[in-house]
Amino acid sequence: MAEEYLLQMTGIHKRFGGVHALDDVSFRVRPGKVMCLAGENGCGKSTLVKIISGVYTKDEGEVVFEGNTISKITPAEATRLGIQVIYQDLSIFPNLTVRENLAINSEITAGRKLVNRKRWDETARAALDKVGCDIDLDAKMGDLNVASKQLVAICRAMLFNAKLIIMDEPTTALTKKEVDALFETVRQLRDSGIAIMFISHKTDEIFEISDDVCIMRSGKNVYTGETKNLTRKQFTYYLTGRDIEDDYFVPKNISPEPVLEVKNLTIDHRVKDVSFDLRKGEILGITGLLGSGRTELALALFGLEKPTAGQIVLNGKPIRIKSPIAAQKLRIGYVPEDRLTEGLCLAQPIADNIALSSLKRLSKAFGVLKRKDVIDEGWKWQKTFSIKTDDVTKNASTLSGGNQQKIVLAKWLANDLDVLILNGPTVGVDVGAKQDIHALVHELANQGLAVIIISDDLPEVVVNCSRVIVMKEGAIVGEMTGDGITENAIAEIIA
Amino acid sequence: MTKIKNFVRNNQYTSILVGLLIAVLALFSALKGSAFWRIDLWKGMTMQFPEYACIALGLMFVFISGHHDMSQVLLGNFGAILAVQYMAANVTEGMANGQVAGIIFIGIGIALAIAVVGGLINFLLVSYLNVPPVMATIAMQMVWKGLSTALTKGYAVKGVPALYTTVGHTYIGGFLAVPVVIFLVLLVIAIFLLKFTTFGEKLYMIGTNKKAAKFSGINVHGMLAATYLLSAIFATIGVLIMVSTMGSAKADYGISYTTRAILILVLAGCIPDGGQGKISNILLSIVTVQIIATGINLFANLNTYYSSLIWGGMLIVVLIMSTQVGNRAPKKAKKVKKAPQNAA
Repeated sequence: MAEEYLLQMTGIHKRFGGVHALDDVSFRVRPGKVMCLAGENGCGKSTLVKIISGVYTKDEGEVVFEGNTISKITPAEATRLGIQVIYQDLSIFPNLTVRENLAINSEITAGRKLVNRKRWDETARAALDKVGCDIDLDAKMGDLNVASKQLVAICRAMLFNAKLIIMDEPTTALTKKEVDALFETVRQLRDSGIAIMFISHKTDEIFEISDDVCIMRSGKNVYTGETKNLTRKQFTYYLTGRDIEDDYFVPKNISPEPVLEVKNLTIDHRVKDVSFDLRKGEILGITGLLGSGRTELALALFGLEKPTAGQIVLNGKPIRIKSPIAAQKLRIGYVPEDRLTEGLCLAQPIADNIALSSLKRLSKAFGVLKRKDVIDEGWKWQKTFSIKTDDVTKNASTLSGGNQQKIVLAKWLANDLDVLILNGPTVGVDVGAKQDIHALVHELANQGLAVIIISDDLPEVVVNCSRVIVMKEGAIVGEMTGDGITENAIAEIIA
Repeated sequence: MTKIKNFVRNNQYTSILVGLLIAVLALFSALKGSAFWRIDLWKGMTMQFPEYACIALGLMFVFISGHHDMSQVLLGNFGAILAVQYMAANVTEGMANGQVAGIIFIGIGIALAIAVVGGLINFLLVSYLNVPPVMATIAMQMVWKGLSTALTKGYAVKGVPALYTTVGHTYIGGFLAVPVVIFLVLLVIAIFLLKFTTFGEKLYMIGTNKKAAKFSGINVHGMLAATYLLSAIFATIGVLIMVSTMGSAKADYGISYTTRAILILVLAGCIPDGGQGKISNILLSIVTVQIIATGINLFANLNTYYSSLIWGGMLIVVLIMSTQVGNRAPKKAKKVKKAPQNAA
């Protein structure tokens, strides 16, 4: 008799030192169903996945896979059982071709020393066929977009005869269209009897794709059951432990004169003849797909891209922004897209990260800097933004994504700014912290800051912006204001 | 006792270094006894360590910034050769001490000017032209050595004024060597820069994540220029101390000091990955390395032919240890936290 459950985990505990990372977690995965593991960052989702895949060892609890109790899971054992994890970083070789990426594992397992191009080709094609996708086998992995990389990773998982595929936040870097395509693939896999464990914190996605849901909060599972028995409101409540309502931004006092005017700005072929203006007190959304020129435009305003034509006017004066140093002098701040590589020095204390852009203000003559002033500055912003930490001299790496993002924001707000550019302000940030950051940005705008939000998270753009510009292939293809800003209106012109 | 325990918990690396220092002392005491605990031996040590300690301090800035500088010593040698040539040509017999001092200062000025040029070249190569630091500075090492050799045909340049060597060999008050004073001045400058200025703050941040520092409005080029300049100047001062010890300048003097400086820094946990390095640890490391150097010299059969082998071997061991400690650090930290919980 086929087991009703593919995987059952009961009473799982895991402690790291004094931290109880998983506290009595239990859930079941049914074959041929999509199970969503939901939870804010730092709630223990990743730890749980690592226990299933054998990276971590559980302290207590029972794991039953296909009716057999598994006492100790090792990574090799997990693979043998048919458990495959597709991590966020996708674990691929960017410098190899798609074919090589697909075939390499089976070549290694078979212990082959010589390369047979034909056999590699067959393995790779078979993998693509299983998932039913079509990707150029000769393409370099690193040149593919995230969505295609993900497909390749799924194909690779299928080569191992996966019975359970765990996808760790697969949609973070995808556009709506790509998410739809991914879900199509997920449904196809599900219908062929494979169990999918889908890790996410995005409400819409979870309700769209999942059959079952397991919601975790602070290391405990607070809800397990079928998704259809849950309303969105209940879901958010379970996820965050509080009721959250979307709080739309209503501009209170927009300045009559624009603070920033961009006129016919062009950067090679990536940004074409873009013009817009920005007033104090408004939040301007710039949205578009990856590669639409939105990031290049932002970087040009921060001195990291050189415009080939056009003009930038700040407070009525034409200016050239040569570098981030110049931008900072002009009171322009930029919260970058990639928090980890561009935003933070993870291995340095929280306080030092916050103080980094305002060292001049904090120091005395000859750059003399008191350690205490840096730490005080850290505590000041820790309180203002309620950053969750008991010690600002701990490294930034100890914080969750949302709190890390608050550091990056604090770093810029510690300066007096006229214009703040936020590129993907809540990427990889959980619902609760997202709400905090949005509320904060609304407040800043109403205090007279001119804010630009660059995002492809359409709900975020709709909720937070008083005006939206849509970019496509480097050019502006649409602009909407106030009630005219809807997800549908944007989605129509974005792709 | 609890005070010591707390210190050990909060300063694991420093504690390891203190332990190592005690072990080294114990080892040489056991093997050599009274021959090791002689005042003149220890006084001799204070005359020896400043030259490479200055080089190590210079390299420290570069390591913290996440960079590398292999050219230091040979750049310093080239400057020193020009300096000694100038001094030898201008000091005549029977000259008043005041005049000689003036010439010596100009000579030192020449060496430091060369250091500035060399530091800036390294900076341009690495920061503006994006040449990988190790390769760029190894190439520059060859260039400086080549220039020195061409200029001197490989011979030592003699004629260092007696005043210069005498001052370099003086013990102030009978115990404090002049080179130590010079080292202490550089040490104070280094401590001031690293711990009490925005320069130090930015240096650690650049070493941790250069891109994030750039995105935070830090002038990364300017910082790296200063870093390579400090490295070159500190190293040249070390070489100038060496000139007074040797009484001459030569293209390949102190060539093993590059490895020794790396050994000191890596032993102190200051690795060229960047963003790390505590001056107190580096001081401990310098002391330990000097004691090892002197201790080895007490063994007559371990003559200079083996010194490269010994230092190279030690560097490899320390490098392996630092990589392994680095990799295991997170696990260890967790275990440390766990202990008190079990006890409770």
